[in-house]
Amino acid sequence: METGRGRGDTLISMAEQPAISVAGLWQVFGSDAASAFRRAQDEGGSSRDIAGRLEERGYIPAVRDACFEVAEGELFVIMGLSGSGKSTLLRGISRLVEPTAGHVSIEGEDILAASKARMTELRRSRIGMVFQHFGLFPHMSVIDNVAFPLKVGGMGRRERHDKVQCIIEMVGLKGREGAYPRELSGGQRQRVGIARSLAGDCSVWFLDEPFSALDPLIRRQLQDEFLDIRARLNTTIVFITHDIAEALKLADRIAIMRDGEIVQIGTPADIVLHPVDDYVREFARDVVRGRHAKVGSIMRADDDRAANGTPGLRPDMTLEDALATCMAHYEPVAVYDDGGNLLGTVDPQDIASALKADCG
Amino acid sequence: MSASSESPAASMPGPPRGQLAALLTLVTGAACLLLQDYAPWMVRFPEAWTLPATELVGTGLDAVLSAIKPVMRAWSWLLSYPMSWANAVLVGSPWPLIIGAFTAAGWYIGGFRMASLTFLGFGFVLLSGYWSESMNTLSLVSVSVPLAVLAGGSLGILANEVPRIRAALLATLDAMQTIPTFAYLTPLLLLFGFGPVVGLVASAIYAAPPMARNVILGLERVDPEVKEASIMSGASRWQQLFLVEIPAASQQIMVGVNQCLMASLSMVIIAAVIGGFNDIGWEVLLTMRKAQFGQAFLAGLVIVIFAIVIDRLSGSLALERKRHDRRVTWGLLLSGAVGAALLALTGADTAPEGVFSAAAVAVDDSLGAFTATHGATLDGIKTSAMFYGLLPLRIGLDQAVLPFTWGFQWTPAMSLWLFAIAVLAGLGLAAAGRHMAGAGLVIAVGVVETGIAELPWPFVIVGTMSLAWVAQGTRLAVLSAALLGLVLISGLWDRALLSLYLSGAAVVACVVVGGAIGLLSAVSGIAWIIIRPVCDMLQTIPLFVFLIPTLMFFQIGEFSAFLAICAYAVVPMIRYTRHGLVSTPPEMLEAATSSGATPWQTMTDVRMPYAAPTILLGLNQTILYAFAMLVIAALIGTTGLGQSIYLALGQADVGLGVSAGAAMAILAFVADRLAQGFAEERRKALGL
Repeated sequence: METGRGRGDTLISMAEQPAISVAGLWQVFGSDAASAFRRAQDEGGSSRDIAGRLEERGYIPAVRDACFEVAEGELFVIMGLSGSGKSTLLRGISRLVEPTAGHVSIEGEDILAASKARMTELRRSRIGMVFQHFGLFPHMSVIDNVAFPLKVGGMGRRERHDKVQCIIEMVGLKGREGAYPRELSGGQRQRVGIARSLAGDCSVWFLDEPFSALDPLIRRQLQDEFLDIRARLNTTIVFITHDIAEALKLADRIAIMRDGEIVQIGTPADIVLHPVDDYVREFARDVVRGRHAKVGSIMRADDDRAANGTPGLRPDMTLEDALATCMAHYEPVAVYDDGGNLLGTVDPQDIASALKADCG
Repeated sequence: MSASSESPAASMPGPPRGQLAALLTLVTGAACLLLQDYAPWMVRFPEAWTLPATELVGTGLDAVLSAIKPVMRAWSWLLSYPMSWANAVLVGSPWPLIIGAFTAAGWYIGGFRMASLTFLGFGFVLLSGYWSESMNTLSLVSVSVPLAVLAGGSLGILANEVPRIRAALLATLDAMQTIPTFAYLTPLLLLFGFGPVVGLVASAIYAAPPMARNVILGLERVDPEVKEASIMSGASRWQQLFLVEIPAASQQIMVGVNQCLMASLSMVIIAAVIGGFNDIGWEVLLTMRKAQFGQAFLAGLVIVIFAIVIDRLSGSLALERKRHDRRVTWGLLLSGAVGAALLALTGADTAPEGVFSAAAVAVDDSLGAFTATHGATLDGIKTSAMFYGLLPLRIGLDQAVLPFTWGFQWTPAMSLWLFAIAVLAGLGLAAAGRHMAGAGLVIAVGVVETGIAELPWPFVIVGTMSLAWVAQGTRLAVLSAALLGLVLISGLWDRALLSLYLSGAAVVACVVVGGAIGLLSAVSGIAWIIIRPVCDMLQTIPLFVFLIPTLMFFQIGEFSAFLAICAYAVVPMIRYTRHGLVSTPPEMLEAATSSGATPWQTMTDVRMPYAAPTILLGLNQTILYAFAMLVIAALIGTTGLGQSIYLALGQADVGLGVSAGAAMAILAFVADRLAQGFAEERRKALGL
């Protein structure tokens, strides 16, 4: 499997222990999939060979040999078209379905080995999940929906209602506590879904295409609010989406899936500037590159050409901004860090070509 | 007759399944006809070959039943307590209180509409003079429904929790609903002895399956994300089920409760035939036996109104709740109580005598006058339907056509000519490329000439197998042949054919009439506005009540039974035909119109083919309804299995009752699978 270069790798090595680590995860559907998988695996070959063999025998390898790690506090986005296995992957990690093979550990605990009771425990206290179509309980009011994880955990009615009040306020539903899901708009329903997933003070947060069912304006608004909430809570997040713009806007790192395989993992800039293949390139095509790629990604650190520092580029500037400041320059432009130290240079030519690379 | 060798189907390279099957059936039929003189066993299954199935079943069941009898008697004793309590409450309470309470419930559930419906309905029951009988019936229902809801609900949950037993359980539920109601009254009678407990238990058994089915369906239909959300919230399985899934499925479950109530009411009334309880069903039966049709009609009307009130009341429980003013509920209850108190003070706290009895007598009189003046016409209708329709179908043209009936005597030469013409016509059709229609024509003529009740058994079995093979494949073919073979060797074959004939005739009539009405309702909105409430009402009425009007006009006999079956079984045909026709996607209609199709062309070429699977499902329902009614109609004179089941009940003959019931269930099962198979095949062909 190809892995993107750059910031992602360093991020992981910086963390003591990844919050989530997934290795060799397979999800095969079909009758007695586990032994069919073992047989196919014993016959050897790459994961692609194994998957091909399984398909020939009428099985559906929905997730194939997924490996990745998510650092504590990181926002990890899994992106792919419908049917690419991204939702199944998330369901395997959260054990909503039992994975066929592989390892998943969350905060150091082997999830696939956990007993049923332990899983229930973890879900009450550590893991929260948001669903595409909200998954609200139709017979419960907003506050009862939000407080449900506390209720099943055995907390008394008064206590749990007090406790979720601030979450309801945080998602902007104050005053609608008594309403029923059918009386709410789509955006409001997903706010309830978000609030419910946070009620148990989770440290790992799964979101399965949370904004896909919403119309574009509401979607953008909720994305911004989501980023606010995220900044406040510092949870580790796995976020599923099929929308590349959403992925680029929110992610620290992105994993791109195709036919059950993770084809690339990288930062938004990696994905946009260094797609590993045509599939990923196709995704990145519609994206306004300048908004997502940073100066740092095209800077030459070892450049010895004399650089004039007039425009004052920073490595974390987007290319769009960089282009605007050095429009008039034809020579390499120096890049400084916040302390004023020279880091390297950027050739305006490179900015231009990075912006239009792969356009044709 | 050797239509087979000349059939062009045979010369075609690799004829499709349908043609092969038709050919096979034709050959068998022809062989039976040709060989009937040399090998009579091919027409009539020799009695010496049958097993004494009814005796065997009887002895076996007797042993089982007497083994579990003590337990059941204990149960009976246990059940008698809640029954006497319910009875004490409903019959013992003064009527204003009951009416007030039900009206209050009506308001609470459905506001003004429901409150007034309940008030008027119960008011009518009060004025009819059948108050205490009605309350007796209601007390039986009020004990049997909780039992059925509990049993059905637990079965449904069990099927949901243990997927492995699900298929078996669904099959059992199927069987519980296809076995005719009277059939399990007999063993229950032996177990519990005469008395209301039998009706109670029978109605609980009969009412549990719809409940279980709806619980299964409801739980299955809960949004998967809702289920996942409850898992991810950390709910235990128990919490998921009772805090999330069951409440989320509550609407479907309430539909189950509604069906459960209706089934229970229907069964409680039918169970009146074993007597022992002074309820409204018994009243109908009694007055019917005394030929007091006015009174029977009145009692029947009470049942109908009861059924409608209960149905609408529980039906609106399944709809989305609106909140109605609680104070009105309390007010209604209070006024009921005040009324009761006032009555008690004046000492007039018994229910009033029927105010409609004069009307009932008047109905009797006018009915007498009507039958006196139009008796000839009615008889004319009856005899011509019998002579020209039912009788030939039953015993065939060769026996039904007599100088007395048709004015001339049928001769073998006529049969020969009829067959010759049929074969020629069939060949003509086949030459025009319509092989199936040709074969079908020849087969139909053969059946009419011979009569359904006289059909040779190899022909019936091979024909059914062929149909099953076309409809679904080898498995169903083998299964239906095995099941029919069971009926054959049990010695119930002749009776089964008689049942087949009557329900077949009724189904054909229903298809023609119901299809036409359905078509009319699909084309004309006004027609549907009129027909719809009639259909609603016909489906709410307990089966029993259908017998009253037919008896009033046509006396006891096969024709009355036929009419009663038709009246009950025609409804699904109407509904499904209309539904299929009106649910054609609008863009298909627009495409047809823009291609220049006339409305009639659109109907025949677009809407009808599209509706075919739905109409076939309607046919399926009609068949099942006809079988269900067949047994009830035995009360007013049918022959065949229905009659045997009814007789067995009278003689407490478990063997006969159960095996005849099983034979009936087999017929219904095979017919059901055939129709469903064809519907499924059409659905697939249309890519639905």
